[in-house]
Amino acid sequence: MTEVPRQARGVIALDPVSCTSCMICVRECPDWCIEIDSHTEEVTEPGARRPRYVAVLDRFTIDWGLCMYCGICVEACPFDALFWSPEHDYASQDAGGLVHETQRLADWLSSAPQR
Amino acid sequence: MGALILYPPDRSGVLRVPGVADYPARVSVYAVAGAPGVRVHVADLGLACCAVEFTAALGRGLLVPVADGDPGQARVLVVSGTVTDALAPAVLAAWEEMPEPKVAMSFGACSNSGGPYWDSYSVTKGVDQVLPVRSYVPGCPPRPEALVDAIVQLAESA
Repeated sequence: MTEVPRQARGVIALDPVSCTSCMICVRECPDWCIEIDSHTEEVTEPGARRPRYVAVLDRFTIDWGLCMYCGICVEACPFDALFWSPEHDYASQDAGGLVHETQRLADWLSSAPQR
Repeated sequence: MGALILYPPDRSGVLRVPGVADYPARVSVYAVAGAPGVRVHVADLGLACCAVEFTAALGRGLLVPVADGDPGQARVLVVSGTVTDALAPAVLAAWEEMPEPKVAMSFGACSNSGGPYWDSYSVTKGVDQVLPVRSYVPGCPPRPEALVDAIVQLAESA
């Protein structure tokens, strides 16, 4: 990869642990390039009056073919699950290859300076 | 790998859009910094803001002008910027005019998928609806470094 400034907006990294599947990024995205699949799990804690319900992230994808790199999702995320990374060397040989799944997005975290 | 050339629309440097306009295209040959032997023949169509990144690649010395380049060795058509339905026939004509072997690179979100204009009535939803694309470069716009990396990637896979 050719060297670029570390604060460059190359790609957006996802921290799947911090993501609560709240869907705010999905709704704020002007291009609708983010997709989230999630389900709800019941958590029963000893001594609790009633069980809690938590959203569990199944799948988080960003379509870089659509993304206009505005960063609204990064700003909007209330749980600090999205970060800019300067990585830009991910051109694809097919359009589908520009859709990055959860793990691929999480892999960008290591190069995200704000993380 | 020999010459990687971004093909000019025609030898006069003008892309003719049937019934719409003539698009002036600056045609030049460049060497790629860090990729010896690779030559890029650029038709700077300036379809949209991605063209600015092309110029930025020049300004930073990522692409270096070559005096004796031959436009006839065109190998790669780089489509950068918003392709509208009105312009699509001209892009296709430029592609069909290229001699084999040839590949097409889509540079930026607009030519990848329509990008921010994915719901527009007048924008082609990706230049791959018009011609076969070999390399999709993501970005809005992609950095000039991304252009160079994609060119090197194409050269290595060719």
